[in-house]
Amino acid sequence: MACAFSFAQGEYLCGKPLPEHTGKEESHTATNGHTGENGFDVVCIGGGGAGITAAVAAAARGAKVAVIAKEPAGYGDTRISMGNMVFPGLADGDSAEGFLSDLRKSGEGLEDPLLARIMAEGAPLATAILEEYGHIFTRDEEGRLSAKVLGRTGGHSFARTVTSGPAGGVPIGQVLRAAAARAGVTVFEETVACRITTESRRVTGVVCFDLPGGTSFFVPAAAVVIATGGIGSLYYPHTDCARGATGDGFALAYEAGAELVDMEQVQFIPFAFTHPGAFLGLYCGEPALAGPAGVLRNRDGKMILEGVSRLNRAEVVRAMARELVGGGGTGYGGLLLDLGPNLALPGGRDLWRAMRDRGQLDLVRKAYGEAACRWEEPWDVAPTAHYLMGGIKVDASCESTLPGLFAAGQAMGGVHGGNRLGSVSLAELFVFGRIAGEAAAERAAERTVERAAGFDRTARPDRAGVGLNPAGLNLQSAGKGIGAPGRYSPMALQRELQKMMWEEAGIARRAAGLENALQALAGIEKKLDDLCIPPGSVYNTGVLDAIELRFMRITGRLIAVSALLRKESRGAHFRLDFPECDDRHGRKRIVLWQEEGWMRFREEGAP
Amino acid sequence: MIFSVERQRALQAFQVPLTEGDTVLTTLLYIHENLDSTLAFRHGCRTGKCGLCAVEADGKTRLACQTTVVPRMVIGPLSRLPVLRDLVVDRRRFFDQLSRHQLYLAKQQFCLGSHRFYPESRQFCQDDPYSSLPQFGVIKEPAEHHNLMACTECLCCLAACPRYDWEDSSFGGPYLFVKLAQLHFDPRNTTDRRKQARELGIGECAECGKCYCPNGIAIYKTAIRPLSGHK
Repeated sequence: MACAFSFAQGEYLCGKPLPEHTGKEESHTATNGHTGENGFDVVCIGGGGAGITAAVAAAARGAKVAVIAKEPAGYGDTRISMGNMVFPGLADGDSAEGFLSDLRKSGEGLEDPLLARIMAEGAPLATAILEEYGHIFTRDEEGRLSAKVLGRTGGHSFARTVTSGPAGGVPIGQVLRAAAARAGVTVFEETVACRITTESRRVTGVVCFDLPGGTSFFVPAAAVVIATGGIGSLYYPHTDCARGATGDGFALAYEAGAELVDMEQVQFIPFAFTHPGAFLGLYCGEPALAGPAGVLRNRDGKMILEGVSRLNRAEVVRAMARELVGGGGTGYGGLLLDLGPNLALPGGRDLWRAMRDRGQLDLVRKAYGEAACRWEEPWDVAPTAHYLMGGIKVDASCESTLPGLFAAGQAMGGVHGGNRLGSVSLAELFVFGRIAGEAAAERAAERTVERAAGFDRTARPDRAGVGLNPAGLNLQSAGKGIGAPGRYSPMALQRELQKMMWEEAGIARRAAGLENALQALAGIEKKLDDLCIPPGSVYNTGVLDAIELRFMRITGRLIAVSALLRKESRGAHFRLDFPECDDRHGRKRIVLWQEEGWMRFREEGAP
Repeated sequence: MIFSVERQRALQAFQVPLTEGDTVLTTLLYIHENLDSTLAFRHGCRTGKCGLCAVEADGKTRLACQTTVVPRMVIGPLSRLPVLRDLVVDRRRFFDQLSRHQLYLAKQQFCLGSHRFYPESRQFCQDDPYSSLPQFGVIKEPAEHHNLMACTECLCCLAACPRYDWEDSSFGGPYLFVKLAQLHFDPRNTTDRRKQARELGIGECAECGKCYCPNGIAIYKTAIRPLSGHK
């Protein structure tokens, strides 16, 4: 039952048609010596775990592969992760089935059972792939991965997490680069994928912007894998994600015509710093950190939540959201996490020492001082944006609803449903990255055959109907370009968008606020035609700011619309005006896509 | 407070507020947001893990996000590396180095079976990964490897090394030696990394120990000495 939006509030929900391309735009050919006329079989957008694994897997099947990485390859969220990876089946009595049952329990009915099963059964493969790239997970005295080395993270009914030591994901970032180099794939570093081109609903390539060179170019591709990670930066500074997590892949997929699912499911980690400024939003801990006796208090010292460590991320965030909305927050907009009661328990000191030795208190000492570090003073904490459970809707081979367009990692939706268990996201990069890469290579091979029969995968950008205006921005429509005078700074608009997303589409949502958010996003869209992008070609961060602003606006709108449509509280989505989980009407997945320039939606019964 | 940034070899001074806990990165962000959006610098995670925000603060190589700001501070790009714009140095050559010097392990025996999913049949077709668990090989990771893998690849060590010059390929530089040492200490490595290090001029290291690492890696002691055979 697909239907176009027909909100009474006005047109702001209606997408504008894609800008028409006049063909007059500046036309560059590929500039940095990598792209030939022949293009690539598979182009992977994203230089993290999922993108590089997809590239390596596609190359192993004989495909000619390129990786387009916005940062230097391997420098994104995978690198700054904790390096913890789920590995079911090592502990006595644990199994893939047990893991699957935990996944499904935490998903609150929104997870795709097939994807969840692939995740559960494929998880050990992720550890194997990453160690094959060169990583070494923490092992026991005999050098084995065994039950002895497993950590336990919240929501898992068994200890089933292998760990990486104090440097966390840093070694993983390094071995990803090594794996890409070894596989011989072409890597475009610090290059932004601006638009995925299609012809008759088939992927034809990617328009890219080369930040160091300051030029745009077109990479023809028979299949594209989106592995661009998440959306943390839409909530900056309330995020523990890297700067580049600006929701690029969701916007790219949406514009290309693929479907997205459950975009309202933004996971917030409950405990992040609230001050000083340099620490705002940075990770300070999971619910498990609270220990057996840790409690949350409001500004007046009144206890608002106990048994914190037994709850999942969403449950703790929801309790905090209620109190913060009710005015119980501290001057820093946080609540007080009091770990002191643990010290009175038998073994409480040991718990503290273990945490200190793992380096978990280093940042606390820097931000809040010695007494807080010793648990003698409570910590001022607030939730922080961490992960998007929703995303590009894919089938079991990671292909989206647009043929030839694949997604893997955080960019794909549906594995986790409404809540993500700890240490699963690292594993999903490798499990689904590999599936996506192999399937994309297969798809490309089919299309090579078609090419012989007339399909031209070396389509020039002008033929593909997309010009190469710098940054894929619609600057021409307002007669503006890089260096031309404009009224609005892209960075200032980004900050405006981020503040609005945090306030209106963050941890506690209501219809009026979400409608404000959509109106504000529509206002930002209008300003996109009047941007002030400073002149200069080499590493002009103003252009990057503008491109990312455009992605953030589209992805922000997907999140806000989906949040408005889900008139219940489920998983990580908490509506103040619909605080209950609505099972009377059945569990629904919210699917969004673009058709003829309009945003459309449908509700699907959850599988 | 006055805060100066080296841009295209000229210093530009900015008047910025100073609040408690401010870092070089928060100050650069303040300038980018409020004073001059053309100021170019890299940053990523804000927690010292991504290695992107390396700069020189008062002449010392530092991660901007981990460095407390002080009045009259002067920030410049990393020395000895080609500057693209303002504080941004060209990093692309470092990816090319990985292939040129085979800075990776040889393809390993894959521990687990093929894992293919056939959507048509809705069947998982795989070797059972759980029956294969014992095939995860024994790896005894030397402490040196563990320590060296904390490298965030921020490139500070190159900027601090008096011998390093990006235009002179006869000397690989401390970053490359760290990459070689990581592999040298990896029990799975099968290539002679010492020989590679010699070919990359490790003998020219002056043993001055100036290759400071913001992540605490003792580069000379744990990477260069074991590779070069210096005492």
